[in-house]
Amino acid sequence: MMSPNSLVSHRWLVPSLLGLLALTGSVLSFTLGGYGLLVMTLIALTTVVCSGLNILIGLSGQISFGHVAFYAIGAYISALMTMAGVPLVLAMASAAVVTAAVGALLAIPAVRVSGPYLAMVTIAFGFIVHHGLIEWRSLTGGANGLIGVPMPDTGSLPASTGLALMAVALMVASLLFFHRLSGSSCGRAIRSVKATEIAARSLGFNPIQTKTLAFALSALFAGLSGSLLSPLMMFINPDSFPFTQSILFVLAVIVGGAGTVFGPLLGAILIVLVPELLSSMAEMRLLLFAGVLLAVLWIAPTGALGVLQARFSKSERVIPRQQPDTNRLASFLTCDAGVPDGLRVKDIGIRFGGVQAAERVSFTAKPGSVTSIIGPNGAGKTTVLNMVSGFYAPDSGRIDLDSDLAGLPAWKIARAGIARTYQTTQLFAGLTVLENLLAGMQRGRLGDCWRKPDPRQVDIAMDLLALVGYRGSVHTLAEALPHVDRRLVEIARALALKPRVLLLDEPAAGLSRADTDQVTELLRTISGFGIAVILVEHDMTMVMSVSDRILVLDSGRPIAWGEPEEVRANPEVVKAYLGSTDYQAPPRPKAWDGSRDATLFVKDLLIDYGAAPVVEGASLVVNPGELIAILGANGAGKSSILQAIAGLHSASKGSVVLNNENIETLDANQIAGKGLALVPEGRQVFPELSVRDNLLMGAYSRADRADLDQDVDDILARFPRLKDRINSPAGLLSGGEQQMVAVGRGLMAKPSILLLDEPSLGLAPAMVAELYDALATLRDEGVTLLLVDQMANLALQVADRAYVLETGRVVHSGDAETLRNDPELEAAYLGENVA
Amino acid sequence: MRLTTRIKHWFLPLAATGLLSLTSLAHADAPLKIGLVASLSGQSAKSGEAITRGLTIAIDEINAKGGILGRQVELLRRDDESNPNKGLLAARELVQREEVAVLFGGLDTPVSLAIVPLANQMKFPFMGVWAAGTPITQNGADENYVFRVSAVDELVDEALVQYGIDEFGMKKPGMVLINNPWGESNEKGFRHALESRDMEWAGIERVESNDIDMVPQLSRLKNAGADSLLMVANVSPSAQVVKSLDRMGWDVPIVSHWGPAGGRFSELAGENAAKVHFIQTFTFVENQQGKGADVMATLKQRYPEIKDLADVTPAVGIANAYDAMHLTALAIENAGSTEGQAIRKGYFAIDDYEGLIKNYSKPFSPEQPDALGPDDYLFTHFVDGRIVPVDR
Amino acid sequence: MITASIISGLGMGSMYALLALGFHITFIVSQTVNFAQGSAMMVGSVLGYTFCITLGIPWVVAAFLTLSLCALYGLAIERFLVRPFHSRGSEAWLLATVAGGLLVDNLVMFTFGKEPRRFLLEGVDHRLELFGTGIGLMQLILPVVVAAIVLALVLVRRFTRLGKVLDATVQNPTAARMMGIHVTRVVALSFAVSTVFAGIAGLLIAPLVSVHSEMGMLFGLKAFAVAILGGISSLNGVVLAGLLFGLVEALIIVYLGSTLSQILTFSLVIAALALRPNGLFGSKKLVKV
Repeated sequence: MMSPNSLVSHRWLVPSLLGLLALTGSVLSFTLGGYGLLVMTLIALTTVVCSGLNILIGLSGQISFGHVAFYAIGAYISALMTMAGVPLVLAMASAAVVTAAVGALLAIPAVRVSGPYLAMVTIAFGFIVHHGLIEWRSLTGGANGLIGVPMPDTGSLPASTGLALMAVALMVASLLFFHRLSGSSCGRAIRSVKATEIAARSLGFNPIQTKTLAFALSALFAGLSGSLLSPLMMFINPDSFPFTQSILFVLAVIVGGAGTVFGPLLGAILIVLVPELLSSMAEMRLLLFAGVLLAVLWIAPTGALGVLQARFSKSERVIPRQQPDTNRLASFLTCDAGVPDGLRVKDIGIRFGGVQAAERVSFTAKPGSVTSIIGPNGAGKTTVLNMVSGFYAPDSGRIDLDSDLAGLPAWKIARAGIARTYQTTQLFAGLTVLENLLAGMQRGRLGDCWRKPDPRQVDIAMDLLALVGYRGSVHTLAEALPHVDRRLVEIARALALKPRVLLLDEPAAGLSRADTDQVTELLRTISGFGIAVILVEHDMTMVMSVSDRILVLDSGRPIAWGEPEEVRANPEVVKAYLGSTDYQAPPRPKAWDGSRDATLFVKDLLIDYGAAPVVEGASLVVNPGELIAILGANGAGKSSILQAIAGLHSASKGSVVLNNENIETLDANQIAGKGLALVPEGRQVFPELSVRDNLLMGAYSRADRADLDQDVDDILARFPRLKDRINSPAGLLSGGEQQMVAVGRGLMAKPSILLLDEPSLGLAPAMVAELYDALATLRDEGVTLLLVDQMANLALQVADRAYVLETGRVVHSGDAETLRNDPELEAAYLGENVA
Repeated sequence: MRLTTRIKHWFLPLAATGLLSLTSLAHADAPLKIGLVASLSGQSAKSGEAITRGLTIAIDEINAKGGILGRQVELLRRDDESNPNKGLLAARELVQREEVAVLFGGLDTPVSLAIVPLANQMKFPFMGVWAAGTPITQNGADENYVFRVSAVDELVDEALVQYGIDEFGMKKPGMVLINNPWGESNEKGFRHALESRDMEWAGIERVESNDIDMVPQLSRLKNAGADSLLMVANVSPSAQVVKSLDRMGWDVPIVSHWGPAGGRFSELAGENAAKVHFIQTFTFVENQQGKGADVMATLKQRYPEIKDLADVTPAVGIANAYDAMHLTALAIENAGSTEGQAIRKGYFAIDDYEGLIKNYSKPFSPEQPDALGPDDYLFTHFVDGRIVPVDR
Repeated sequence: MITASIISGLGMGSMYALLALGFHITFIVSQTVNFAQGSAMMVGSVLGYTFCITLGIPWVVAAFLTLSLCALYGLAIERFLVRPFHSRGSEAWLLATVAGGLLVDNLVMFTFGKEPRRFLLEGVDHRLELFGTGIGLMQLILPVVVAAIVLALVLVRRFTRLGKVLDATVQNPTAARMMGIHVTRVVALSFAVSTVFAGIAGLLIAPLVSVHSEMGMLFGLKAFAVAILGGISSLNGVVLAGLLFGLVEALIIVYLGSTLSQILTFSLVIAALALRPNGLFGSKKLVKV
């Protein structure tokens, strides 16, 4: 990726290149004559604008198609002031101040919108300024503009050389500023918000603040640059600042390499020099220029420097110590102003639309204790975390730490000392591991724009990483980390906030047993520092062993609150939480004995999403009419296998053979056409289409479209519940009904094999029973099925054979009967369901 | 890659012609370079094309007779995209890097105004052949290097007002002005011309070149009691004015600057185009014999796409550029060198030249940088797609 | 005068809406747009002129040819200017479509010519007396045609298989792929539809304005403003915003003159987005953490 910080390890690279640039620029200022000097000065000024825009695009992740307006405002201010006899330097300062202020003003509407909406706001701003300059005749000279802007008095030096030197100095300064900014605490704040606004807010950063700052800084550079343009051209008018120039600025930043220090320089050279080189083409010039731009975009869509940097930059490998300095950590983490009662949540509740997602939830989390929130899927656990951490404002109730925090924005709650992690990790991509922690340590403060990180802070960050057991390099970019490390670093980052309360949302999801044990140990250590730990987790072994108190939720309502033993013994809990284990699926009347001519044959599958492999060397066979289950803990790679088979992600290696035909290189829609249907996790119905249309969509790839109505009726006979809902939008159905629609939709394709991904996830026990009955019927009718379900005992009841996955590898396989009675499997996997 | 073949399809022949012209020129010894900064792309591209044609015909004639000072003349053109900054950059490039002897300017007054200070500062002659903005030549420089063979807004406005009074008995005109510097410059001129005659005006309405419906602006003028319209706008908005008048059903005399001449005004404005009387420095119809016919013949020969008179719009651009080039050739011959100050004096030393627009006699002096004056203006309108003088 | 302005405002507004629908339809299936939608409109006008006037082909055939070529143009935009970038997760498609528009504008300038031309068809200049003011027939036709197109679009989406496929792709592209829907092809199709809409706008607007290579630029930008203002993923919103924009613009011209219209309309756009960040008729999506 285009992180400015992969350059950090080359500590002297950027400064020495900047020195070289300053030297070259100065030499050229004295040696180039006339026109060449003018062009060089223009390149320098354009670089300044683009470097400013780079703050907005590269660091802050926003975009502006109105930057020429700031350039124009700077130019007009400087022209008006110098024409009134004010020295140029003073005029430049005024231009900088005014454009920064205007930039901050524009940020008011701009930070509220994103994507194309943001583009439109900036375009509109550009037009308003352009036409404002035309209509405000008394000040701006209207469309005629301002003529006779004086050149500065540069003593014995020719004015053009003086201006060139100033422009070069400004260029070097702007590039240096960008470099220092991106490594400073302020820059980290801006980049964090860009990477993931959600996590940034939960670390105390106020996105409005960082985005506004980025706008203001970026406008300031455009204004400064413009203030040198008017004395250079000695003339300005509104047409000197056309809309297309704004687009060219953005283009320069992107093709140069957004987020890189020198990208804007490269881009500026492109957009200034190429038209000059083409000038003799007269009327052909714009045509050719457009062609050149397209070619550059095609060759380097992520920017020339981005491409080069990805190829050549290697960061220094720095690994945290094995053991943290416990004293230093203790003094960092232990709270001075302790809150003896810890976090007290009283009667909070929230509704989404018609659904009461949480109701009258109360609990306390004492300092130094671990409090767990458990409950079946969809019980509202994460909703409660989201209310406590400020992402949802509760409709009722109180959340007390020092004072009532209920309804405050996330960043304020974070600053009050509540840190959190996420189900799917939300590390700041583009920041290194160390920077992720340093960002946490800022507790939402912007800090300064210039200084490098304090060595003492780096030490503490290293200790925290050692504490969580991270063993990789601290200069690795967050997005390049393997799954386990992401979890660990995210916990370390939350600790860097110096929290009094730490919320952990399924920290063990996707971890192996050993890793989970390590995290369990870690939680004890963390609570040992006097932090109130609140844990949402499915892994019952972990919950039962680590928790001091447990809150059990069911359908948004608390049903039990107490110590682990109490909760475990509570019959209501057993019923709500483990109810589905009572279900007995109808067994196959007669054991499967069909053709061994495999319908689906998967061999040596390797799946990685750019980082560590998620699935490694998985092989499996599904014969016609078989029901095969793939089992394994959350994150073991089960779903990844199904998605790879269905063509949603391509596997890096291995082969998938469907009915004697290799399909691993085909796209999902082609695979669907070959008779493979996937009922995806989370159901993925088309929410605004009616149930009937959803079902009909399932038959899209079928060649014979004759008996569609009959087939729909068959599905309805299979799932009678859907009859009444046949014309309602599928999105309004309950989870279980949607699952039936999804299965029915899959069946409508008359597939030669049906893949089911976590069909029982989030369903009420009664629904699960109904669904599994239907699956058993399908099996008995001879439909070939490949089933993934976390509820292993459930899946094993209907399956003929099963494969057990652990961290991406097949560790067991065999017939369901044997596996069901395999104590080893129960210990390793079923532990969570029989806790 | 279909697109690349498409680009090639367009690009190769054009690039080849470009190369050919370059190589053929490389054989001549040190050609004398003449620069042109004009709008070659976009909405005003037609103007750049007309100037190019006028200059090219003149240069061909000059080169056929042995060039200037024994050197072949070469034309270097730069696109200003109607953007003053681009124009200024291009001017500096032509003067400083290419060292052109004289720089010609294009349609846009703002671009010319941007180049004027540079010309006077760097002492190179700048010849305007289109932009009519008064301050281009009246720029207050002690040693003025700017010359013009074109109309001058201030004088045009005088002429338009007088014509309106004489022809239509205009008492209370309404002004329809394009919202750009050209419009601004003429607003001043009209105000001055009307005030000096103690006349009032019904109102001043500005239009944008992209306006499609001008009924509101025109209705305001109508309601304010306008008995005639004074119009300054490019061909497209001028046509929209006529079409909007049609829709309103308002039959009112229109006296216009030369905007309608810049394109197929009669096609754009429809049958009522003929009602617009506009000023010109030259039209080809009138001069079917003599020099006009010769030039027309040469144009047809040199540019096969020109088939009849309707294709030589805007004639003023061609004629002004043609005469200006010949005058410039004389000036350089007079100077005996390509040095800016000498050429400037060379312009003043021109005695007589029989041109396309008129017979010039002492066309330039330090007090009079404009070669054309009110006597050289004529009023025309469109008849059958051709610009013909109004029968008075 | 007010009546005439309102009618002309609605006429222009429906043109903005038609172009904006082009932004809408590509955005809902791919979250991308052809930023040079104005150029596509210009291409429609220029092709229409070439077939109808230069080559003298009957207007029905000419319109068919024009729109077919517009569809091809849309496919080319998607294939060469959008897909190469969007498929890599790069946002550079935005700039690529702008550069593509610049390229096409200039190509048209070289082939079609530099002079603005008039697309004059029998009868389109017809003038009507209505409510005491003169109104061009074309200004009345515009909203009617656009209303018909919107209606057709709604009907197609609601009642045809193609419409369902489009809806499915919009609502859940991944699931759509699993159904066997060639999503890439749907995206390409949406670009073709988008440029066809622009082409229709080009054909409709051509008789009212003059045809030249730069006629689309400002128009396209205003249409983008309309799309955003309406909430780009809401069909009703986009159409309503188009009419609203046209009306407001016309009224500003009546009361304040056209020179201020851009400052005021764009200021209103910013103000509207500051108050409603998802457009006037767009809805906010709940962010899941």
